[in-house]
Amino acid sequence: MEAETIISSTDSMDFKIKELLKEVHLDQTAIITKLVDDTFSAIKKVIRKIPDDLQVTADLAPDFVRDIGADKVDFKFRKPKSVKIGGSYSINCVVKPDVNVDLFVQLPKECFHEKDYLNHRYHAKRCLYLCVIKKHLKSSPSFDKVEWSVLQNEARKPVLVVHPAARPVEAPGIYVRIIPTAASLFSISKLNLNRNNVRAVNQDGVPQPTPKYNSGILEDMFLEDNAEFVNKTFSTWKELGEALMLLKVWARQRSSIYAHDCVNGYLLSILLSYLVSLDKINNSMKTMQILRIALDFIATSKLWNRGLYFPPQGQNKVSKEEKMHYKELFPVVICDPSTQVNLAFRMTSVGFSELQDEAALTLQCMDRCRDGGFEEMFLTKIDYAAKFDYCVRLNLKGCTEAHALGFCLDDECWRLYEQKVHSLLSQGLGDRVKFIRVTWRNTLSEYIIENGLSILDREPLLIGISLSTPEKVFRVVDIGPNAENKEEALRFRKFWGEKAELRRYKDGTIAESIVWESEQWTRHLVLKRIIEYVFQRHLSLPKENIVQIVDQLDFSLLHGAKDPVSFSGGLLEAFEVLSKRLRLIEDIPLRVSSVQPLDSAFRFTSVFPPEPHPLVNEKRNVTRLHKLTPSCIQPLEVMIQLEGSGNWPMDHVAIEKTKAAFLIQIGESLCNRWGMTCTATEDDVDVLMSGYSFRLKILHERGLSLVKGEIGNQAKQIYSTDRVLFVRGQHASMINGLQGRYPVYGPVVRLAKRWVASHLFSACLMEEAVELLVAYIFLKPLPFNVPSSRVTGFLRFLRLLAEYDWTFSPLVIDINNDFGPDDYKEINDNLMSSREAHEENTQNVSPVMFLATAYDKRSEAWTRNSPNSMELKRLVAYARSSANLLSKLISENQIDSYRWECLLRTPLNNYDAVVLLHRDRLPYPHRLLFPSEVNKGKHVVRGDASKAFHPFLLSGDLKGSSEELKNKLMVDFDPLRCFVGDLEKEFPKKLKLWYDSLGGDAVGLTWERGFSKKRNLEETLEEEEEDPTDVLKAVGEVGKGFVRNIYLLKAPRLTN
Amino acid sequence: MGSNERKQKKVKPKKKSKLELSENEEMINPVEEETEKSIPSIKKKRKRDKGNTVDVKMQDHSVKEIGGEKRYKTKKKIPKSGNASNYKFGQLGAEDEDGINKLNVGNSKKAKKKEKDHDALKNDEVLMEKSKEADQNEVYFISSGDDDSSKGMKKWLTEYHQSRPGLKVLQQRIDEFITAHEAKLEQERKEREALAAEGGWTVVVHHKGRKKTTDSESGTTVGSVAQAAVEDKLAKKKKKEVGLDFYRFQRREAQRNEIMMLQSKFEQDRKRIQQLRAARKFRPY
Repeated sequence: MEAETIISSTDSMDFKIKELLKEVHLDQTAIITKLVDDTFSAIKKVIRKIPDDLQVTADLAPDFVRDIGADKVDFKFRKPKSVKIGGSYSINCVVKPDVNVDLFVQLPKECFHEKDYLNHRYHAKRCLYLCVIKKHLKSSPSFDKVEWSVLQNEARKPVLVVHPAARPVEAPGIYVRIIPTAASLFSISKLNLNRNNVRAVNQDGVPQPTPKYNSGILEDMFLEDNAEFVNKTFSTWKELGEALMLLKVWARQRSSIYAHDCVNGYLLSILLSYLVSLDKINNSMKTMQILRIALDFIATSKLWNRGLYFPPQGQNKVSKEEKMHYKELFPVVICDPSTQVNLAFRMTSVGFSELQDEAALTLQCMDRCRDGGFEEMFLTKIDYAAKFDYCVRLNLKGCTEAHALGFCLDDECWRLYEQKVHSLLSQGLGDRVKFIRVTWRNTLSEYIIENGLSILDREPLLIGISLSTPEKVFRVVDIGPNAENKEEALRFRKFWGEKAELRRYKDGTIAESIVWESEQWTRHLVLKRIIEYVFQRHLSLPKENIVQIVDQLDFSLLHGAKDPVSFSGGLLEAFEVLSKRLRLIEDIPLRVSSVQPLDSAFRFTSVFPPEPHPLVNEKRNVTRLHKLTPSCIQPLEVMIQLEGSGNWPMDHVAIEKTKAAFLIQIGESLCNRWGMTCTATEDDVDVLMSGYSFRLKILHERGLSLVKGEIGNQAKQIYSTDRVLFVRGQHASMINGLQGRYPVYGPVVRLAKRWVASHLFSACLMEEAVELLVAYIFLKPLPFNVPSSRVTGFLRFLRLLAEYDWTFSPLVIDINNDFGPDDYKEINDNLMSSREAHEENTQNVSPVMFLATAYDKRSEAWTRNSPNSMELKRLVAYARSSANLLSKLISENQIDSYRWECLLRTPLNNYDAVVLLHRDRLPYPHRLLFPSEVNKGKHVVRGDASKAFHPFLLSGDLKGSSEELKNKLMVDFDPLRCFVGDLEKEFPKKLKLWYDSLGGDAVGLTWERGFSKKRNLEETLEEEEEDPTDVLKAVGEVGKGFVRNIYLLKAPRLTN
Repeated sequence: MGSNERKQKKVKPKKKSKLELSENEEMINPVEEETEKSIPSIKKKRKRDKGNTVDVKMQDHSVKEIGGEKRYKTKKKIPKSGNASNYKFGQLGAEDEDGINKLNVGNSKKAKKKEKDHDALKNDEVLMEKSKEADQNEVYFISSGDDDSSKGMKKWLTEYHQSRPGLKVLQQRIDEFITAHEAKLEQERKEREALAAEGGWTVVVHHKGRKKTTDSESGTTVGSVAQAAVEDKLAKKKKKEVGLDFYRFQRREAQRNEIMMLQSKFEQDRKRIQQLRAARKFRPY
């Protein structure tokens, strides 16, 4: 029956919306209503018991009164005029998890004087009134806790938060907010936006208007009326309420718009009411339609320019002049139905454009994303860390400069400081950035208002920056105004101080300019230097209080003190020379027709592109060899194709042999003609030149068709050498293209690869697969924009890995944007058929991670064999925990570098046994991130290091002639790979190996399930061999001279 | 902090056992939690390591020294703490060891419940108990193996050098292979011919269908028609073919297929919704 109802809604979107609402909507069940009613009446009872004419003085909250600068605050307590439930609870639109019920307490007129709108007297009395209520509530047993909070992050408008003692299962965190209202307390004309009501706000004695202060009081005066109006609109209109809840979920997922200077639930409900009053939304619409219209209105409507005014009802018409006036004073105007208050008076222009931007992006998601963008809209968390390319935190705790002029004037000091920081940054960064967002949250949990406002600077000020195009971001010289333009030049100098210098440019102009000299590989740090300079100069902040998230992970990519990517230029030059020379070869039967780079170093995505080796450099000087000359050299694969010929042999082995023969001839020819060095095994030929070692591979196109013919038969599992080469070639050129489009792509891939390797997943996720995953976040960035910084890109990679629905969805990486709907269908069918084949045994699905590309729609190239489902689960779990840690590191107060290192430091106790290797026998010891130690488990094996191999040439070795020296150089020798290979041969299906192929010194071992199963089958025979200690001893033997220690952490499970 | 940590430790074995129950369900402790605990020791280590990398050039001596030192230290320590590797980490190490012991106990207890009379299980328990005792003596020592080229580093090095005998030798080997290969092919051909020529008869095999233009074994074009030309021809031919909706039955079939497709898509959607529901993919936060 239930299935039938699902089917009837053909659109799965409706179904999902329904489910989502079930998830977030607080059902007003009998239990909840009873709880709310009980709490409500309990509060009322307490308030009723407060004696009238109780003398209230500033002593209840002296610091608060002092800090907001109010005078004459004493009054006699009177009971509130009314206590009412309002807010989202009254329209049944409460959205979990922040379940609260608003209680409007109308302040009695008797407590106020006519002129109390002046100088924060109203605010002070409002607070004191609450203090009285709080004192009495505290003694009541029906409440668990009574706390302070503030309205919309505005410290001068505190509210009380009451936690009822009962905690229902449906909404365990339910609480009641007591919000004072001020209906008809003051004359509206006195609060006209032109009037000055805070005497301290003046310029040379001339009082300035205080529109924000006035609006703040007006807001309270019309709070109840407006709530009533919203109630009327929403009552008995289910779809509208649902749309409001969806909007709230949508906004709440976006921390940059759900903020004090942007929107909140109340404003969203006002906005929807406005659209209803304009007849843009009507009764026949479905929930999703309403939502779409609302988003579209936010994103594109021209009405924002002149402000939103509810259609006049009767006499309350807003005149044109008034409208102009509103527009002048506030960036965004949403005038309430009574036409007296701009409800959006807290909204800043930056916040509003952010809101528009997000709405526009969401509309794009709805049109372009899978399943109508449901996940992107409601389920994806869009926080500062993932949204912005660049995050900066300012620790302003105890910074008195922020409130030097007083805490509260027209606006509050924190808001003014936000503005100041924003304008400084926009001036300093100019067109390097697209968007800057500055927010400073002051709400503290456990905040005690009686202690004043000075502690509200505890939270760091958070800055999010979206970067402009890379050429602008990485620009080294900022050209300022022409020297002849005296006035501007002076201003420029004033801003930049001694950093500004006069420069003469090629076209003859002389201009003020600023130079941020830096090497190519440190260009991403230019921004950091600018920001630091500007803040130090203008805010006189010490360096350690400015935390910029930019280079914290760079340590993992450095080689010594330098990023090895800086060698890439030389590498590409060397490759050019090589390919020219290859094409020039004439003394082989078939000429070389094309040369293509395969290795990731050629496309800037290798974690460690090789450094030129001094021994194989033609221009080298033997005496200048430095002491740490590595004895190993990393080969870089290059694919060549030969002219076509009909004389190739037909079978596989013969083809490979013929290729080898060709390569050897090519190698010899290069040696003879150019004096290059060539070394070869039966499978590989390496030529050494200009400090690099190139490994040549021949792609024989006929080999491709050979296998295609065989696919129909049994050979489906085997990917022939030619096929592999072909696919790698395709991949290399695609990624190279992508890398050219997005300069940040390379660094992000490198971080991602480093992360995968350092958590010992080298065997699970191939490098190419990582490149594709990262490519996806650049090609399909929605609901974000394309990332422009490595940290953001890396975070999104982790989140993709952790959150993507790997089981049921293919990840389509469409680099050249040439897939049509047919291709998507084909890919989906491929996925389905691969999943169906394993329906009964979901453990063995392959590929678990379905990566479809133009050259590989069946995901056979990179993820066919690994990761398997168990490995993927592990990967996902690691990615999730790393992503959470990284988000925390970016947005919360964490400075020390150790926690950053934790992102790449893997816990070794997640393995059954751990093998530690001799660090100084790793081929590239300087690539080791953190030396591993194990201090738990049973120490089983200890081994000595072999003396036969050293990662660096010893001083004795350096004496011979250059030829001898070259012979000592080992191409592609990697003991870890040998060790792993031998282990896999020795213990197939018994041990699972986890290692870091980039240079880790630990290998994790887990017992495969076969370990114990096998045992059950051949019980008695294998008894001896199965002792884990013995197995580990054998493991140690296999790695003789390389293994340092082996620890047993967990014996294999013996059941099943 | 100390008491807190201890509490955590106590909880751990329980967690572990849960882990064990759910077969492949890998639950990983958050990376940070784990690593955070060992801050001091790791920092210490890092310092040491820096030293290491700097004077790697003198490895020969320094390594020996370090090795010697270690051995000396460990011997000295046996009566004291029992676990060699913990020595350096002072308090932290001791605490950790504590944790392990508890963990082990948890493990073996659970195992006991499961299969009491299992032989190997006893082994297991013994093993775990052993780890509590001073096991330094039992740490299996492996020599550097520099004189033994059957395993380990020495083997890999030997293999490396053996695999690179020089271009000349390799060329020669390939030549040999090719000659042998060609000889083999020649031989096969001759045999076939001989079979055919035997007794003066030629075996005539009836070929069904048209003359093949491609060799059945390799897929290469034989005869005078080039593959490209054939494909070209085929491509041209296709165009002349009658449209798929020529006959009424074809149209009907197409219609039926479409309906079937829609149905299957429908099924899929339904399945997907069930999956979504199962995965509870609707929770926004």
